[in-house]
Amino acid sequence: MSSAVAFREHVAAMTDVRARPPVGLYVHVPFCVSLCPYCDFVVFAGAAARGPANRIAAFEAAVATELELRADALDEAFGAPGSVARPALDTVYLGGGTPSLLPTDAVARLLDTVRRRFGVGPDAEITIEANPGPDERGDPGALAALGVTRISFGAQSLDRAELRRLGRRHHPEDVADAVAGARSGGIGSINLDLLYDLPDGSLGTWIETLDDALDLEPDHLSLYALTLDDPDAEGLTGPDGDHVPTTRGARRWRDAALPSQDEDRAAAQYYHAVDRLAAHGWRGYEISNWARPGHESRHNLAYWDRRPYEAVGPGAHAFDGATRRWNAAHLGRYVEALAPNGASGPAPHLPPGGHEPIDEGTAAAEATILGLRTDRGLPRAAAELPPLADAFGWAIAAELLSIDASDRIVLTTRGRLLSNELFARLV
Amino acid sequence: MTSQIPQARLRNFSIIAHIDHGKSTLADRLLELTHTIDARQMTSQVLDSMDLEREKGITIKARAVRLEYQARDGQTYGLNLIDTPGHVDFAYEVSHSLQACEGAILVVDATQGIEAQTLANVHLALREGLTLIPVLNKIDLPSADPTTIIDELENVLAIPREEVILASAKDGTGVPDILEAIVERIPAPKGDPAKPLQGLIFDSHYDAYKGVVVYVRLAQGTLRLHDDIRLMGSGARAEPLELGVFRPQLVPVKQLAAGEVGYIATGLKSVRDAQVGDTVTTVADPAPQPLPGYQPAKSLVFAGIYPVSGEDYPLLRDALEKLHLNDASFTYEPESSVALGFGFRCGFLGLLHMEIVQERLEREFDLDLIASAPSVEYHVRLLHGRGELAVDNPANLPDPSDIESLEEPWVKLSVVTPAGYIGPLMELTTNRRGNFENMEYLDPARVVLHFEMPLSELIVDYFDQLKSRSQGYASMDYEELGYRPANLAKVDILVNGEPVDALSLIVHRDKAQPVGRALAERLKQLIPRQMFEIPIQAAIGSNVIARETVRAMRKNVLAKCYGGDITRKRKLLEKQKEGKQRMKRVGSVEIPQEAFLAMLRMDEG
Repeated sequence: MSSAVAFREHVAAMTDVRARPPVGLYVHVPFCVSLCPYCDFVVFAGAAARGPANRIAAFEAAVATELELRADALDEAFGAPGSVARPALDTVYLGGGTPSLLPTDAVARLLDTVRRRFGVGPDAEITIEANPGPDERGDPGALAALGVTRISFGAQSLDRAELRRLGRRHHPEDVADAVAGARSGGIGSINLDLLYDLPDGSLGTWIETLDDALDLEPDHLSLYALTLDDPDAEGLTGPDGDHVPTTRGARRWRDAALPSQDEDRAAAQYYHAVDRLAAHGWRGYEISNWARPGHESRHNLAYWDRRPYEAVGPGAHAFDGATRRWNAAHLGRYVEALAPNGASGPAPHLPPGGHEPIDEGTAAAEATILGLRTDRGLPRAAAELPPLADAFGWAIAAELLSIDASDRIVLTTRGRLLSNELFARLV
Repeated sequence: MTSQIPQARLRNFSIIAHIDHGKSTLADRLLELTHTIDARQMTSQVLDSMDLEREKGITIKARAVRLEYQARDGQTYGLNLIDTPGHVDFAYEVSHSLQACEGAILVVDATQGIEAQTLANVHLALREGLTLIPVLNKIDLPSADPTTIIDELENVLAIPREEVILASAKDGTGVPDILEAIVERIPAPKGDPAKPLQGLIFDSHYDAYKGVVVYVRLAQGTLRLHDDIRLMGSGARAEPLELGVFRPQLVPVKQLAAGEVGYIATGLKSVRDAQVGDTVTTVADPAPQPLPGYQPAKSLVFAGIYPVSGEDYPLLRDALEKLHLNDASFTYEPESSVALGFGFRCGFLGLLHMEIVQERLEREFDLDLIASAPSVEYHVRLLHGRGELAVDNPANLPDPSDIESLEEPWVKLSVVTPAGYIGPLMELTTNRRGNFENMEYLDPARVVLHFEMPLSELIVDYFDQLKSRSQGYASMDYEELGYRPANLAKVDILVNGEPVDALSLIVHRDKAQPVGRALAERLKQLIPRQMFEIPIQAAIGSNVIARETVRAMRKNVLAKCYGGDITRKRKLLEKQKEGKQRMKRVGSVEIPQEAFLAMLRMDEG
């Protein structure tokens, strides 16, 4: 593709704020056996997740109803699934939480609803997140039979002591078992999530974790700097917020962990990963994501390409090209809104939440930032657009950006680690 | 309307005292006893109407009130009480008040005895030729020791013991005797009411409706309402809107005559036209000469005052203008700083005065301010006969290679203390380059220590240290001694090679290195890591005396950015952007305003 064509397409995409049908679907399954103290996702643990009083069945019913209601709206806007104006989904992603806690038949019913109401393409990517522990990893063979093509395991570390410090329930050997099981069950693409910049971690344990992970021969690695945020302080945990309040225990854990994180150590760990994985023939296709060629996550790429996606479940976010919208995190209110109430009660309706229309300026900023997160970067000509030219000139001089062989602007490794310094100039 | 009292039955007096010796309580009692204020309206410290004065227990602005007192001889007398500020910084205002009086009540605490300001105020009063009425206050307290303190007054101030009135302003003991003594001992004012008008302005305030209201003491002549007046110094003319006396609220009268103390609402819109120290006369029958007037207020302490947020600069400018109408004893002129933006260089009578001005600006004008470290005014002689400079901002001190000599102001410092604290106070003062001169015993247990000391050493928390090392017992007073050669150095703080103007300071050469090191270490903690390594240096001229390094930032990244994160992360980035925009830029380094505030507040501690 010529540079001029790439640029024109880029500009057109950046300024397109029309609503479009989704290419992907995210389903948030908000249950875990136990809470991890560093985790910000919408999760309900303990009795809500396991045992006689669990809310999984109520959630399943509610999410099925939400899928129907969302699909109704899409039918109305774009026509029936599978038509030219409304192509079948290219990706489905069951995230959490721990979606692998869902019984296989629940996953089957859910995917049936999705196929019936949204359409799922013949070679769609269908991902499920799973924990590696023996009692929470699900049945990979059964999942593969339902069409699941990809499992993402929350391994986090392969160091026994680090897993303990993180409050994880599994051991390093569970990860190996989980990967082997997924493989033999016929799952074609396997991801491991790993964390660096752990409190009291070291470059040494990180090198070992990464080596051990590669020995398991996964197809994809997501490597995240542990980020201890405060959603309460960000104002995200109100009644219609998309996050649940941080528990006191989690807050204490974060307060204790924060001082033993180390920016320099984290940078060294990241540089090591970049070098190690490049030597292994992997592609670092996003700031925190590496894959064997052909195993990039299509679902996540859709986020960075700003392609529309539908989303259901408490706290889930959707984007249709014109608006970003989200469901409130609160499970009770979610279930209540969507539950059938017989003849007397109100009809099931969409759960509470919020939305934000995206104007052209925001769309352009998002396109620039999200594009730069990936190794495709942006067409070179984008850097010459007047509002960006200054920031890009500065970033090239500061060695945060470089021009690659195909004449695109991409972040350098240093630039990835310092990307907020550039991005804060672009919002 | 208040009755006209003949000159022979007028008395003009002040109350002088060390802080907390009971001046304001005594004034309250005098007001009560003469029914100037009825008990219903009585609040304590009636004359200290500013909140700040009541909180700090001090008088900042001079004030006046007329008491009408029926004396034991059956006659009604007009007693004009002219209040005086009670802190060393305000000696200037004290002297204005005293010049409008013929006598002064000297209040001494019977439990404390003579303090540093007692001495200073007595000297001022005697210099003005005032009749003193010594009053020993708080004799109701069990710890009162009148005999010893009367000895002190006799030995130290040559006050005859039989003149001392024992009193308790709190319970009223002795207060009638004080009133009687005012009538008997203080002479009536002189001055011919028939001569051309001469009135000395000893204070003023600005009123939105009446313009500049000047407080005057008439030396001679008579002023009637509708007489046009002229200010002899400024040349301004005015048609007074109102004449009056202080009861203590302003009460109009038809005329003011020689010897009286009152106010004139001039209608003038600018305080510059009617300054304290100027002489009021009439247009119709002008006096041939003005009264001697006052020395202009002299600023001893200087600091930059800046709004914490730059957009408040116009508000600060207006606030300074307005406050200056009320307190002409500080000076201000615009300056700008790389670190702090646009602000004003202000001159103050002393450190307390600086604190008060800053607090009044913040409270009365709702501003959030930051002050640079206080400085004195240095005299600089340049090499090769290129002249002399006065520098009140350390950042403006020329390079050492251009300086032939440098002089700094010295003060004569007196410290009154119980003898038990002599050691610690000597150590405190000599460590600050003070030279011990001599020591006098007030009584066997208390002494006055006399020092000479650089003013710059005094203005950096000396008073707080004095109080803390003497458990609150020592008091101090100082007066200017003039300039002396100094072995000083300007320490600049350089960030990435660029000097940070607001942090420059002038210190004695022997202290330059520890001070420079402390500043550099502190600043290192306050500057966030940036994309490149940042050297922080303390330097004298081109000679680096301390160095620290802020290491380069290695990581500032959003690790996860998926479908649910995009809105949230964009907001985080917007916040980072706002944070960056609020930062001050020194060369290519971004420094948060908070870092400067923290550095400057460290100096205050």
